[in-house]
Order: sequence, then C-alpha cells, then structure tokens
Amino acid sequence: MSEEMKSQESDNDSDYDQSDHMDDDDDYCGYYDDPDDLDNDKPKKTDDPEYFEYELLQLEDVERFLNEEVEVLCSSQKIKPSLAKMLLHAHNWKKEFVIECHSKNPSKLLVDSKIIPKVKHQVAREDMYDLSCGHMFCGECWDYFCQVQIQQGTTLGIQCMANDCDVLVPEDFLYSVLGKPDLREKYSRFSFLEYVKSHPALRFCPGPNCPIVVKSKEINFKCGIEYHAPTDCDVIKKWLTKCADDSETANYISANTKDQCSKCKYDFCWMCLGDWKAHGSEYYECSRYKENPNIANESVHAQAREALKKYLFYFERWENHAKSLKLEEQTLHKITSRIQDKVMNSTGTWIDWQYLLDAANLLKKCRYTLQYTYPYAYYMEKCARKQLFEYQQAQLEAEVENLSWKVERAEITHRGDLENQMDIAEKRRLTLLKDFLDI
Amino acid sequence: MAAGLPRRIIKETQRLMQEPVTGIQAIPDESNARYFHVVVTGPEGSPYEEGVFKLELFLPEEYPMSAPKVRFMTKIYHPNIDKLGRICLDILKDKWSPALQIRTVLLSIQALLSAPNPDDPLANDVAEQWKTNEAKAIDTGYL
Repeated sequence: MSEEMKSQESDNDSDYDQSDHMDDDDDYCGYYDDPDDLDNDKPKKTDDPEYFEYELLQLEDVERFLNEEVEVLCSSQKIKPSLAKMLLHAHNWKKEFVIECHSKNPSKLLVDSKIIPKVKHQVAREDMYDLSCGHMFCGECWDYFCQVQIQQGTTLGIQCMANDCDVLVPEDFLYSVLGKPDLREKYSRFSFLEYVKSHPALRFCPGPNCPIVVKSKEINFKCGIEYHAPTDCDVIKKWLTKCADDSETANYISANTKDQCSKCKYDFCWMCLGDWKAHGSEYYECSRYKENPNIANESVHAQAREALKKYLFYFERWENHAKSLKLEEQTLHKITSRIQDKVMNSTGTWIDWQYLLDAANLLKKCRYTLQYTYPYAYYMEKCARKQLFEYQQAQLEAEVENLSWKVERAEITHRGDLENQMDIAEKRRLTLLKDFLDI
Repeated sequence: MAAGLPRRIIKETQRLMQEPVTGIQAIPDESNARYFHVVVTGPEGSPYEEGVFKLELFLPEEYPMSAPKVRFMTKIYHPNIDKLGRICLDILKDKWSPALQIRTVLLSIQALLSAPNPDDPLANDVAEQWKTNEAKAIDTGYL
C-alpha cells in the first residue's frame, strides 16, 4: 500500500514538472501516460479494457521484489538462494510451477534446468574445481573463462567448460572463482538485467536510459513492441514484417495512382476516390474493404492482383493514420503556443484552456488505436465478426475525423460541443476495444 | 596473459609436431606462434579424396577461452564452406569449449569433409545441389 502511494506521489511530481515548463518541453511521447485524461475519477477495470494496475519501481525496489520471490522459493523448498534464482530464471519466474516440480521430482527439475548433469563425471582432483557435473578445471582457468564470457556479454548462460556439457555456472560458484572486481560488478549488473527481462511482470521503461521498471500487478507483459491494441502480438509482428517486405511495392503503386482532379472540382472521398455525395450517411463505408466475391474462379494473375489490392487497401489506411498522427503532433504544438498567447493577452487563465490540450491528446489516442485496427482487420477471416468490427471501425473513423475537424477549428467551436465530441470519440474507441481486445 | 605465449599453446604446438594426426599437418608461422599453416588431405571415400586443402588457423588473444579462427585457403565446393573459405561448424561458434584443442578442431573439420551437413548450409547453392542431386554435387566436388 505504501509502495503504491509512493509511486503515485512521484507521478504527480513529474506531472507538475511537465506543466511547469510546458512550452519548451517538446518530448511528450506517450499516448497513454496521462493520468487525468478525460474523467478525473479513476477508471475501473470493467469499463476500460486497456486499464491495468501497475507501479513504477526504482532499481532497488526491483531488486527487493526479486529477492522476495527468491526467498519464498528458498524457504518453501529449503534450498540455497543461488539455486533458487537459477530455477526461477530458467522457468521465467513461474514460482508455483517451480515449487510444484521441485517437490515432486527435484532431480528431474534440476536436470531440465541445466543445473545438474544427466550423468556425473567421476574424476575428483583436490586442487581443481567443478560444477555439479564433475568436470574438473583449475581455478585459474575458471577465472579466465568467466572473464572472457562476461566480456562477451554472457552472464546467466555461462556453461561448464567441458565439451558438450551444458550445466550452467551458478552465481556463487562464479563469485568464488572470479577475481577482478570490475567484472564482478559487471556480472551482477548484467545478470540483474537478465532477471528483469525474464520476469513476465517486469519491463524496463522503453525510454532511452530510463532506469525505471514497470511492474504489472495482474497481467503479464507480452511482446514489447509498441502498443498495438486491438491487434494481438502475433498479428502485429506478421503485419510489420509484411510492411517492411512490401513497402517499396506499396510506395510505387501509391505514387503512380492518380489522386485528384484539380480542374473539375469533383468532390471526392480521398479514401476510395468515389463521389463524396454518394457516401450519404454511411460515408465511412470505405474503411471496409470489398472483396471480389468471384475471386476463387479468377486466374492466378487476377488473384495476385486482388491480394495486392487488399494489402494496399489496408496499408494505405494504416499509413494515412500514421501520417496524421505526426500532424497531430504539430497541432499539439500549435495549441500549446496558442494557449500561451491567450494567457499573455489575459483572455482566460491557463487552466481555462486546458480542455484544448486534452482534446488534442485524446485525438492522438483515438487515432493511434484506429491505426492499429487496420492490421487486425487485414488478417481477420471474413465472417459476421469482421462485419461488426469494420462497422465499429467505421464509426470510430467518422468520430475521429469529426474530432479532428473540431480540434483544428477550436477557436470557433463551442467548448461544450468539443467536449461532447471528445466523449463520443472515446466511447467509440472503448466500445471497439471492449469487444475486440483480448488480454 | 598478453606477455609471452601461454603454456597451453606451447604444449599443444609441441604435441602437434611430435605426434601428428594422419592427413593433417599444422605448422606454426615463423614470426607468429599463434598463426598456423594447416594442410588437410581429403578423407578417403569422400569426394575430396586425394585433394590437398590449405587452411589458416589463428589463436586469438583469449584462446583457449574463445575458439580459434579457421579458414580454408584452397577453394572448396562444400555446403558448409563459403567462397571465402569460412566454415560453418558449431564448435567454432557457440559450441566452443576450452576443453577442445587445435587437434580436435582440425579433426572435426576433416570429418566435416566426409560428412557435409546440407541442413545448416553456408553456401546455399551447393547445399541445394547436394540435397537434390548428390551424385552431381560429389562430381563437382572432384573437380
């Protein structure tokens, strides 16, 4: 409890900091880190599918947390801490699993975790040292071997020196043979990083050189790629690889596709290039890709064309939202300086204009989610669920465009109107996520 | 460790000279005792039989804690050896152990000539040929 209080306190501190020099602080980089986004009351798990409880830990806190985990295993199984650490690391810190296996069949668990060998080598020598496998080497060799391994970046993965022996070197053995203090320090630092990486509930903050570790209280962290709800980890990996592979082709095609007739002023939808008037009330029909129903009977060539068309369709929308997101970044800057001007001219206080910033941030957040709906839709099987998804996507798309329009014209839009639009857009976003985000 | 030659290298070199392995010759360079001129003869019954292959072997500063660097100087048609003579062999990479020696490394390379491993190729074209038409690949190896 006191832990949580502390992390919240530091949260508020940093917020205060940020607002203090808002105008020269342009590295605002999170879409989801604003604690008082829309409502001031804390969101509950039931109405926000993206919500999860977490705390931010300093390195010492992480160390303490890991040691507590180790301690639980030590006392329940009566084993040494260094052994407990190895077991937990080998099984991604699944404490219950390790305890269960260790109480059932400890030697099998130890063999599987590469801590003891399948067959022990039996030549004892007094002046030499071995791991549990019995391969004897002199202390000088062990020392030098460990030095070279650490310098090459291996820590928890250091194995016995013998050929074809994969028994791991335990921490306490390593410290007993390793002489150089700087390498001991390096080992302890690197192995700590390894422990954090192997723990499913811990993640280093992805900001460069940030020492903070995020600890999730209920869910496990997954892939570590940029946030990509509602698309799941496997799909986003596939999509990103595909984009990297095909991007040049896509660029070529978009570059060679006619975009606009400047002469006749034909009012068109910039997505499907169709007549804007025909879009009517369902004007965001064109976020939905219409497959050729007769495709199975077409030639291979036509099928390839269709596949490319389908990919480009989704890619273009994905790409457009990515570009718009960059533009929203500029909007945010403009709004910041506009607020500054207004406050200087005594038209309202800084607090009065905060809603504009909130609107711009919300727009970014909604667009971000919208961008990541396209890979999801691309890989979805054609079925009723896909129809529902694309319907909700179209709804969100429409509201995001409305919001974007109103944010751009915030001067003449009524504050109530804008806040209403914010609410609608966020509700659409949450509805979509609630139905389609699997955690 | 930097000063002088480690005792291990001296002992290994002595033993290589006194009890040479059949089909393998390794002579240290006159100016650098960590650099070896190696000659391996093609193993009997392999497509490389009667072939003579020159290699170079270098013991890095960290040897024996890290693997020796070995390269074919003679061009060879083999799925695990590329045009530059680089060898794809696990004990030269992640499976290196300080318990291995120059002698055992060279024996492994000789064994690789008898039993290529087309599933872990370095020269893709050769591996492909080896898998689809072993006879023709072996024929090419003879040339």
